[in-house]
Amino acid sequence: MSYLSISHVTKQFGDTVVVDDFNLDIEKGEFVSFLGPSGCGKTTTLRMVAGFEIPTAGKILLDGADITDKAPNQRNVGMIFQSYALFPNMTVAQNIGFGLSVRKESKEMVAQRVDEMISLINLEKHALKYPYQLSGGQQQRVSLARALAIHPQVLLLDEPLSALDAKIRVSLRAEIRAIQKKLGITAIFVTHDQEEALSISDRIVVMNSGLMEQVGTPFEIYNFPTTVFSANFVGSLNNASAEVVDPALSLISIDGVQFESAVDLKERKKGDKVRVAIRPERLSFASEQKKANVVDSIIENITFLGSVVRIRVKIGNTKFNMDTFNNPFLDLPKIGAVEQVTCSREAVLVLDE
Amino acid sequence: MTTSPASATVTVKRPVVRNRLVSWLIFGVVSLYFLIPLAATFYWSLRGMKDVLGFEAYRKLFADTNFLPAFSQSIVNAVATIFLSLLIVVPTAYWVTLRLPKLRPVVEFITLLPFVIPAVVLVFGIIRLYSAPPLLFTATYNSSRIVLIFVYVCLSFPYMFRSVDNGLRAIDVRTLTEAAQSLGANWGTILFRVIFPNLRVALLSGALLTFAIVIGELTIALYMAQHTLGPYMSDLTRSKVYEPSAMAIVAFAITWAAMGIIDFVGRGATRHVQMVEAD
Repeated sequence: MSYLSISHVTKQFGDTVVVDDFNLDIEKGEFVSFLGPSGCGKTTTLRMVAGFEIPTAGKILLDGADITDKAPNQRNVGMIFQSYALFPNMTVAQNIGFGLSVRKESKEMVAQRVDEMISLINLEKHALKYPYQLSGGQQQRVSLARALAIHPQVLLLDEPLSALDAKIRVSLRAEIRAIQKKLGITAIFVTHDQEEALSISDRIVVMNSGLMEQVGTPFEIYNFPTTVFSANFVGSLNNASAEVVDPALSLISIDGVQFESAVDLKERKKGDKVRVAIRPERLSFASEQKKANVVDSIIENITFLGSVVRIRVKIGNTKFNMDTFNNPFLDLPKIGAVEQVTCSREAVLVLDE
Repeated sequence: MTTSPASATVTVKRPVVRNRLVSWLIFGVVSLYFLIPLAATFYWSLRGMKDVLGFEAYRKLFADTNFLPAFSQSIVNAVATIFLSLLIVVPTAYWVTLRLPKLRPVVEFITLLPFVIPAVVLVFGIIRLYSAPPLLFTATYNSSRIVLIFVYVCLSFPYMFRSVDNGLRAIDVRTLTEAAQSLGANWGTILFRVIFPNLRVALLSGALLTFAIVIGELTIALYMAQHTLGPYMSDLTRSKVYEPSAMAIVAFAITWAAMGIIDFVGRGATRHVQMVEAD
């Protein structure tokens, strides 16, 4: 039995289905991200776990207890908001102690827990300040401490880093992950930022228009996307429509240019339309020894991106991005030149059209 | 570029100086409009004794046995009105903001009704409705007074609702409520520990306006035969020469004192509100 189980949860607002048959089992201590564009239902799902929305259908079980219809203040969950949502009339210490004082804990106990939490987030010097005297990153750390002070069964984070600037975002995300691991708390993290999801999670749920597209570890999601949407949404990607040429040999053709894939195509028939996806970093210029998937291309454009050089090549009638690591001795071809490019059979992903 | 820096500063500086002069001029004219009648009233109030300027009129005013009872009655009415009005308006405005935003225009319209209905019409409606069974509430002076307070509560709605509504818009009511809920707070705790404290400035300004209306209200109190400050003042104007001016100055001083208190109490809270707006 898993710790948090969301089973067949559907949410409708009027006629609009916002979340459609969501199923997920989360283990204790796991860090799961819901990743998707805005309006994909990730926040609504999180809010149903928090109790701010009641599912139209389905059940949510937390540690064996059915919490589907419980009021938010009756479920022991910690919530973190994008806008921090600190109480402006209270100091840092009062904010952190709020949940405990609402529970009528003794003054000594509240004070002790507040001290513990303040040292957890390293804000000892700011305990008596008001939220408006803190930076955004500090405010979000206070809100983390406030949510954790009540010993929640699950920590829910609703795009907690989106309002912060880039550097703080990266350091705070590492801090959140470190604290989560240290306390062994179960967490759900909602984000639209694929890099954030990949770097912080044990598992990612990719969502699109209310549906779960794919569930897997960051490694699986990035390297083996199972749908066109999750392939496109996570990382940058070349994709083209193609046709199955020989199911037995896993041969496909993009506008007449043949590629061999490592994907088993025996279920498909010759002439089936499929979508082929290749990550830019899996394409490279062909060297002598490579035999499979060597094709002619015309160099269209070269963009210098710092650590990476992105080369736009035309294979047949289709344009592909090819990424190669930068180094000062890189021998770049001229624009308009014809070069052979290649990719391994494993790099050629075949998805449903 | 050959333009000298000096000429550049001059061309920038001149309009600023002129603007500032114009601002001061406008401020001066408006101040005169406000200060001359005040000064005249004050001067008149000092002429209570023949040929000597002094506070005779004030002494007579405070010596009048009807003045202080009327005054204290008005203050008690005002405080009761503020209290009731806050209890009705804050939860209503909060709930509308949080759960029924579509009803906002309707509620706003209802709160504006006291502006639309003239006081004379209102008071006759009330007297007709509440002075006959089964709703006979005007039988005694004190029961009439309670009715009067409830009428004042209605009169305060436009001011109170606007202030509270503005205050609620300045804070992120929904997220703060949800944060409090997820920390285990119930509705009462949320209202009294989160919403009320963050609306301090808005509540104070609503309360001040309500105070000012109730203290000066004449029509309704008069027709309901209440011995409050409004009817007392109007009586005084008809029978005395210098005391009404003294009375006006006293009322003015009280109002300013009330505003000063509100400004003082509100100063600490404004920064919190501004911060939330900036987010």
